Amino acid sequence: MLRIRLHGRGGQGIKTASQILGTAAHLAGYQAQDFPLYGAERRGAPIAAYARFSKNIVLERGPIAQPDIVLIGDETLLSDPMAAVTQGTDASTLIFINSRHTSHDLKQHYQLESLPVQLDISELCQKYIQKPMILSTALAAVGARLMGRIDLHHLLQAIREELGQGRLGPEKIAANLKLAEEVFQKAPSFDLEFSESDAGFSASRLVTLERRPPVDSAPLIFATGNMALRKTGNWRTHRPVINYEECNGCAICYARCPEGDIRMDTNDKPVIDYDHCKGCLICATECPKHAIEILREVESWN
Amino acid sequence: MELTRNKQIMLTGNKAAAWGARLAGVDYVPAFPITPQTEIVETLAQWFADGHMHGKYTNMDSEHSMFMAAGAAAASGVRVFTASSSQGILYGLEALHTIAGWRVPLVLVNVSRALATPITLEPDHNDVLSLRDTGIIQLHAETAQEVLDYILMAYRIAEDPEVCLPVLVNLDGFYLSFTREPVVLPDEAEVREFLPLFKPSQPVFQASEPMARASAVFGGGNYSYFKIQHHLAAQNVVNVYQKITQEFGERFGRFYDAVERYRLDDAEYVFVMSNSFATKGKAAVQHLRKNGIKAGLLKLSLLRPFPSQIIADALAHRPKVAVIDQNLAPGMGGILYPEILKAVYRREDRPQHLLSVIGGLGGRDIQEGDFISILQRLDEAPGDDPLFLFDEKDLKQFDQLRQIAGFPREARIP
Repeated sequence: MLRIRLHGRGGQGIKTASQILGTAAHLAGYQAQDFPLYGAERRGAPIAAYARFSKNIVLERGPIAQPDIVLIGDETLLSDPMAAVTQGTDASTLIFINSRHTSHDLKQHYQLESLPVQLDISELCQKYIQKPMILSTALAAVGARLMGRIDLHHLLQAIREELGQGRLGPEKIAANLKLAEEVFQKAPSFDLEFSESDAGFSASRLVTLERRPPVDSAPLIFATGNMALRKTGNWRTHRPVINYEECNGCAICYARCPEGDIRMDTNDKPVIDYDHCKGCLICATECPKHAIEILREVESWN
Repeated sequence: MELTRNKQIMLTGNKAAAWGARLAGVDYVPAFPITPQTEIVETLAQWFADGHMHGKYTNMDSEHSMFMAAGAAAASGVRVFTASSSQGILYGLEALHTIAGWRVPLVLVNVSRALATPITLEPDHNDVLSLRDTGIIQLHAETAQEVLDYILMAYRIAEDPEVCLPVLVNLDGFYLSFTREPVVLPDEAEVREFLPLFKPSQPVFQASEPMARASAVFGGGNYSYFKIQHHLAAQNVVNVYQKITQEFGERFGRFYDAVERYRLDDAEYVFVMSNSFATKGKAAVQHLRKNGIKAGLLKLSLLRPFPSQIIADALAHRPKVAVIDQNLAPGMGGILYPEILKAVYRREDRPQHLLSVIGGLGGRDIQEGDFISILQRLDEAPGDDPLFLFDEKDLKQFDQLRQIAGFPREARIP
């Protein structure tokens, strides 16, 4: 069994990447399984997807706790403890990070146990499909190459099948195929072993719950405003920035923000709470003075 | 996508369900979306719009209307498919009891999702087992292939002249609904030979032929007659199912039974499981066998009617058996455990230790270590049931959640 875990944000094509990988491995003759995990999230929220490949029937289901390969499409997730991108990894796990930084810098900055594989696939996505953060094809190509078990032609066929299901026209598919070819050539290859985890396992530490009073046993929440604890600011792919020279303080952005992340200050000017703003950009669209600029979120460190 | 002969492709459980409906050549799909079922009706809507499916797809205003529309359409003699999940099934529960009593054939899919409260999206079987007593036939699928195959067979069962009942196919949310795995897509012409286009075997609503199906009866005797007939028809499905699965197997090469006996022959320890988590059980059996422990698994596929005899035969002379219920009837325990106890009760060859285990609630993973814990409990003398699969990690995580929720706190009582 070979287990791959993919991390990215809603809207970046992480689920599609896992499906391209699954189909490519299936075409290459392996038993395959792929699976996204998401709940009530939306664009920008951390999401994970999983793929398993085996020579024999896959008798596992659900999230992968101990992956052989981790593909990180969005570097900013490494700073988000909730995304848990390195959970279950050790020095033997192959970690790929889509980044402009070098492997050494990444290892040091994020205190990784081993040197990650690094490639700036966003740059290649920009070059071929003009969308730096639509990572479905490029991330799948990295995964296919890293495993060292999937030929380019199976990968390309999988891309045709997965992207061709009525969603993309022939020109865009052709661009994606070129993108995949270049990523496939640039990424390193490892001949990973299929591990059959024969290791004995020990009994779970089951606990017996005692009956507790209703206040402790019903799903009550006393904490008010605990949304504040979940800093959703890093869901943003784009940042709205108010140009105060242009802003007339009409408060339309304040009224329209669906998250309540804009407050009016004592001078009647809006202030954005970037710890929680998810970057939906409704404020920028609604601003009658066009006084809210849209900037790409830069990586969390430089 | 064009239909190709017996091609194996990667499909989610949901997509496999949609393919089942498409290959069955259904005429009518009343629909209402709910996570994790939405992908099924979304896919069918697209196929109707693109002309791959012919007939009528209608977005309804609720699951209650949806099931009523499904039953009414089936009563008019067309082939009907519909799907829901969890709270949606509950909202339509009144309609489901009603249309089952109409004795009309149709197929519905439930994508299991645990019930509120607390609300969640992940699976357990309290939703589908709340239909336990509707008299609707239930098939529970482990894999995407089973989802597709069961739907095709479900139409044959539902439409069998001796049956005429709705048939439900169940699949787990997330672990199967969103999980892609290789599925053999049968050839449409071959499917049509196995499942010809629908010809009703009983009177249907049509112009100038007045009839009623939703009769009122007073006096319990009349009511009892219909209910007993419903029971007899449902019970007979054990035989009908075996006939149809045999024919399906001969035609498509995939043989099914009311239960799957996985390495049971010499098993000393048996896990009884259903649905997608049975895959995890099989993996555990493999690991245990490699370590010299004779384990096996009994997978329940036909849940209604309950194939008591087949289950009792499969468990005969198996000394230690754990029934893993992925559901909970508070104040009682597992829902399937007493049904299995009843199945083996009168048998001399019944298991010596039949343990009740509750696990996988709300999608809580069942891990390899859990199976070891179950074995250990089976080695002890029978004692306090059920064994809950809830461990120190779960408790630690819960304590963190409680802190976020504002505990500990002096309760404010007015």
